[in-house]
Amino acid sequence: MDTLKLYFRSMGMLLKSQLQYPASFCMQTFAQLVMEAGEFMAVILVVDRFDRLNQWMAGDLFFFFGIMSVTFYLTEIFGRGITGAFPGMVRSGQLDTLLLRPRGVLTQVLCSAIDPRRISCIAVGTAALVIGSRMAGVRWTAPKALALGEAILLGMLLVLGLFMIEAVFCIYSVKSVELVNAITYGGRSACQYPIDIYPRSLRVLFTVIAPFAMTMHVPAAYILDKPLYGWPAWTAFVCPLAGAAVFAVMYAVFRRAMRHYRSTGS
Amino acid sequence: MAFIETHGLTKTFTVRKKREKGRLLREKTEIRALDALSFSVEKGELVGYIGPNGAGKSTTVKLLSGILTPDGGSALVDGRVPWQERRRHAAHIGVVFGQRSQLWWDVPILDSFSLLRDIYRVPEAAYKRRLDALTSALQLEPFLRTPLRLLSLGQRMRAELCGSLLHGPELLFLDEPTIGLDAVSKLALRDFLKRENAQNGTTVLLTTHDMEDIAALCSRVMVLGHGQKLFDGALNNLLARYDTSREVNVRYDGEIRLPDLPQGCAVAREGADYRISYAPAQVPTAHLLSLLQAAGPIRELTAQPQSIDRLIAAMYREMDL
Repeated sequence: MDTLKLYFRSMGMLLKSQLQYPASFCMQTFAQLVMEAGEFMAVILVVDRFDRLNQWMAGDLFFFFGIMSVTFYLTEIFGRGITGAFPGMVRSGQLDTLLLRPRGVLTQVLCSAIDPRRISCIAVGTAALVIGSRMAGVRWTAPKALALGEAILLGMLLVLGLFMIEAVFCIYSVKSVELVNAITYGGRSACQYPIDIYPRSLRVLFTVIAPFAMTMHVPAAYILDKPLYGWPAWTAFVCPLAGAAVFAVMYAVFRRAMRHYRSTGS
Repeated sequence: MAFIETHGLTKTFTVRKKREKGRLLREKTEIRALDALSFSVEKGELVGYIGPNGAGKSTTVKLLSGILTPDGGSALVDGRVPWQERRRHAAHIGVVFGQRSQLWWDVPILDSFSLLRDIYRVPEAAYKRRLDALTSALQLEPFLRTPLRLLSLGQRMRAELCGSLLHGPELLFLDEPTIGLDAVSKLALRDFLKRENAQNGTTVLLTTHDMEDIAALCSRVMVLGHGQKLFDGALNNLLARYDTSREVNVRYDGEIRLPDLPQGCAVAREGADYRISYAPAQVPTAHLLSLLQAAGPIRELTAQPQSIDRLIAAMYREMDL
């Protein structure tokens, strides 16, 4: 409870300091809007050209796009410390100052950055979700709403966990390893579309290693009444736990790595 | 049992060199930042910690504050092993890195302080009391509502100090706190540290390159070089060992010819001024003066002790640092 309070107070303060530069904030938020709207436009063009991908119709594809967009950018807003700021914190030695305080490192890393500009991306994602579910004629029920909430929440843990791979590399090498972007940003781009349109190797990558398919596609397909691979309904509630598992594993690895942290300069 | 006690503390860093042409792998070199360092500090002591760049001072501070884990040796601070109980330890210490800020850049420093209160879980009443005492001692009231980025270097350092003392630590590590400060700020900072040490019994380990900091504050000084402790004792004792020569500046009326001076005297001429350095142990001052007086009418004569910086430089040279 105490930790959550600290987190929200930190977020409040960071938000206040970002708003010290309102013009810059507005411009960057607008730039994000253009970027994410462009992404959505790409999906619309695909739908326009092909009409459908496998069994997925336009509304289904918009829904898949929306769930990924909302999940990914919520993580970027609230987990900015891990998804963006961490390499810089290692390089500049700011991580040292966090270690000097009587709190967990991950807590403090998460407390030390926020990226509110992504709010416009989430607006686009939410619009895609609403349009998609309307077009697909989704009849919302309590279990479906629960599945959506769970998918987004555990999806956030998954994204956070994947970004922690990069963080762990940083702790060892002080440099940021862009290679990891292949499964973070790459995963986001690829898994805007349902997993079953991809060849086997990519399906394995995004089901087992970076289980976007498990956390988002299985519940999304359930909500759309077109179960993925014909799996039963309960899988929509169990499969997303893969996201939490990735986070748990990476949290353990992160803690181990911190013991090898070697700091920089004086 | 002493407040801080270390035995054979050792820390090695592997540094990868840039890959040379024609080699497939990069060469690695091991740097011993700390080599079996042992010392102890009593509660309430104010200890100066000096040594050239790269001697291992910051590494010591990082080990004792729990940021780093050593490769060998042991350390106990008030009965705690810093790197094993980092969080519990952190609640009892304060650290100021002169070149690194721990406050938030874009928000008023008062907001930073209240967030630190939450981080350290300081009870509201204790926080209020402490904040009042610190802001008045450090004269921070006028800029409590100013964002950190708008403060001058001296004001910022005072704010940092306040931030690191809010939770009432028993042990304070200061890593070059006076770096880049003007004379007034330096003096104010030293006064404050002296008072904090005397009133609250805060133990202070002060790392610095500014020898005047040490002279003004520390009764005890430790010298570190190549990761080893080279000296531990009173500053005066340290200086006495290297304070062996004196300098005299003489200006005469008109042109004169300086007589041959005894062995061990060095003469440098700058315009009409002669600068003569000598070792009083070998050449008695009375003897030198009589020789100088015999040479002609003296207009001006000044004698001065060596600056501490020079002595330290001589010491580093002799210790081959």
